[in-house]
Amino acid sequence: MSRRLAPWISLLLVWSLLPMLWQLISSFSTAESLVDGSIPFLQRWTLVHYRELLESDPPFWRYTLNSATVSGLTTLITLALAIPAAYGLARVPQQLRRIVRWMTAAAALFPYVLLFLALLELARRFSLGNNLFALALPYAGLAMPLALLLLTSAFEALPKELEDAARLEGLGLWQRLRWVLVPLLAPASASTAILVFLFAWNEYPIALTWLSRDELLTLPVAMARIAGSSIYSIPYGAYAAATVLGSLPLLLLVLVCQRQIVSGLTNGAIKG
Amino acid sequence: MLHLNGLGKRFGEQWILRDLNLQVHEGECVALLGPSGCGKSTALRLIAGLERQDEGSIELDGAPLDSIPAERRRIAMVFQSYALFPHLSVRENLDLGLKIRRVAPAQRQQRIESVLDTVRLREMADRRPQQLSGGQRQRVALARALLRDPRVYLLDEPMSNLDAQLRDDLRPELRQLILQGSQPVVYVTHDQQEAMALANRIAVLKGGRIEQIGTPEELYKTPASRFVASFIGRPQINLLNVDQQLTIGIRPEDVGFDPDGMPCRLISREWQGASQLLLLDSPRGALRMLCAGDAVLSEPLSVSWPAHAEHRFDAGSGRRLAG
Repeated sequence: MSRRLAPWISLLLVWSLLPMLWQLISSFSTAESLVDGSIPFLQRWTLVHYRELLESDPPFWRYTLNSATVSGLTTLITLALAIPAAYGLARVPQQLRRIVRWMTAAAALFPYVLLFLALLELARRFSLGNNLFALALPYAGLAMPLALLLLTSAFEALPKELEDAARLEGLGLWQRLRWVLVPLLAPASASTAILVFLFAWNEYPIALTWLSRDELLTLPVAMARIAGSSIYSIPYGAYAAATVLGSLPLLLLVLVCQRQIVSGLTNGAIKG
Repeated sequence: MLHLNGLGKRFGEQWILRDLNLQVHEGECVALLGPSGCGKSTALRLIAGLERQDEGSIELDGAPLDSIPAERRRIAMVFQSYALFPHLSVRENLDLGLKIRRVAPAQRQQRIESVLDTVRLREMADRRPQQLSGGQRQRVALARALLRDPRVYLLDEPMSNLDAQLRDDLRPELRQLILQGSQPVVYVTHDQQEAMALANRIAVLKGGRIEQIGTPEELYKTPASRFVASFIGRPQINLLNVDQQLTIGIRPEDVGFDPDGMPCRLISREWQGASQLLLLDSPRGALRMLCAGDAVLSEPLSVSWPAHAEHRFDAGSGRRLAG
C-alpha cells in the first residue's frame, strides 16, 4: 500500500514545496541574478534583502509581531466563545441543532469579502480603526462559524456517559468543562485554533481598510506595500525574503502542534 | 430507604416508563430486570437525576430528591461502559471527584490508596484506562463509586461487557464491596441469572411497567405472568397451549421420566455434565426437559410432570390464574 503510494506522495510534496523552495532561493539571491542566468553560481547569493527588511522603518519583525498579536487574540476570543457555544449546541434537540448547523455552515461559506465595506463603516462609526485589538473582533466573528461547526461535532463525538459520570461525581457545569470536556477536546481545539490563527494571519481586505498607520500593519498588508513600493521595478528579492520571514512563525506553530492537528482532523474517523 | 412513587418518563408521546412504584431498603439490592428497551436504564437515570421524570416523585430517607441536581444527590452509578475519564490515570480518575468535593489532600491520598488495595489495582494506579483490561476498568469504576461515599448505589449492567468467566470472578467481589454495605442498591440487568444471584428482590419490567416484583424464589415459584415465567429460570420454561383460554407452563426440571406418561421422540440433546437438556417432540408440542447427566435414555421415552408443578396462565392476557 505505502509502496504504491510513495511516488504520488513525492509528487504531491514537490508540487506543494517547490514554490516555497523557489521563494527561499529567491530571497537569498541578488536582484541581478534573478533576471540574469549567466552570473556564476557563487556570486548569486546575498543577505541584503533580509538586512533591508530588518533595518527598514518600522522593522519587518514589527509586522510579524502585529500579525501574531491579532491572530493570537482572534484565536483566543474565538475559542473562548466557540467552546461553550459548541457545548450548548451539541446538547439542544436534534431538529433545532440541524437548523442551527445549516445556518452556521451557510455563514462559514459566505464570501466575507462582501462584508468589508460594511465593516469599514462600523470601524468608522465606533472609531475602531488603527487598533490591533479592535481588528481581532471582526476576525473572531468571521472565524466563529467554522470553529463552531468543528467543535460541535467534536462535542457530539464524546460519549455522553463521561459527562454523566462527571455530574454524579459532583462536578458542576463549568467544572465539567474545565476538568473533563475541554481536556478531552484538546486535539479538536488545537486543530480549530490553527485554522482560526491561519485565517487571521492571512487576512487581507479588512486589515487593509482598518489599518493605515505604518507601525500597526499586519504581514499581508505590509508585504503588499513592499511589492508595490516602486512603480518601476518589482522587488522580487525583498518580497521573497518577506514571504520567508512571514511564514516562519506559522511553520513553527504547525511543527509544535502537529500531533494535535493530525489527531484532531482524523477525530471520529478512528475510534480510540 | 429509597422510595419511587409512580415514576413516569416519556419521550414525546411515548411513555418509556410508567407507574414505577418501588421501595429499596437499607442494605437491600433490588434488580430491575427486563429486555432492552423496557425502561430499566431510564429508571436509573431518573434516580440519579441525569434526567427529569414527567410524573411521580423520588424520596430518599423521607426527603424528596426531585429538586436536588444530579451533582449534589450523592448517588454513585457504575455505567455499562464504565465511563472512566480517558485522559486521566487511574489515580487521577479516583482523585477528581474528591478534589472537586474539597476533601483534604492528605485524606484524599489515604482514601485512594486504601480503595486501590481493596480492588487490587495498586500497581495499575498510574495507567490510563485504555491500558487496562475490561475487568480492571470495571474495578476502577467500582472504586470510584466507593469513594463517592454515596447514599444510593446504582449499577447499570455493570458486567455485561465482560466475558462469562470474568463475570463469575467479579460477582463475589461486587457482593462484598457494594451489596454488603448499608446503602440501597438498584441493579439494572437483562441477565436473569445475574439478577437471581445478586439481588434480594427482582422487579421484572416489560414495556415500561413492572410486571412483577418479588424475591428470586417468588418469581421462580409463582411467576405472575407468562412473560415473567419465560424470563426467569434457565433453561426456559415450557409453555403449552391447552385451549383458547389456558396456557400452562412447566419448568424443564419438573419434567420426569414416567413409564405411564406421554410418549415422546428425542429431537436433540445437550449434555452439560451434571445435567442434560433434552428437546422432545411430544403430542402436546415441543418440550424441554432437564434430567441427570448420567441418565440412560432408552426409547421410546415417556414423560410426565406432577400436577402441582403446572403454572396456569390466561392464554389471552398472559396473567397467572389462581390455583
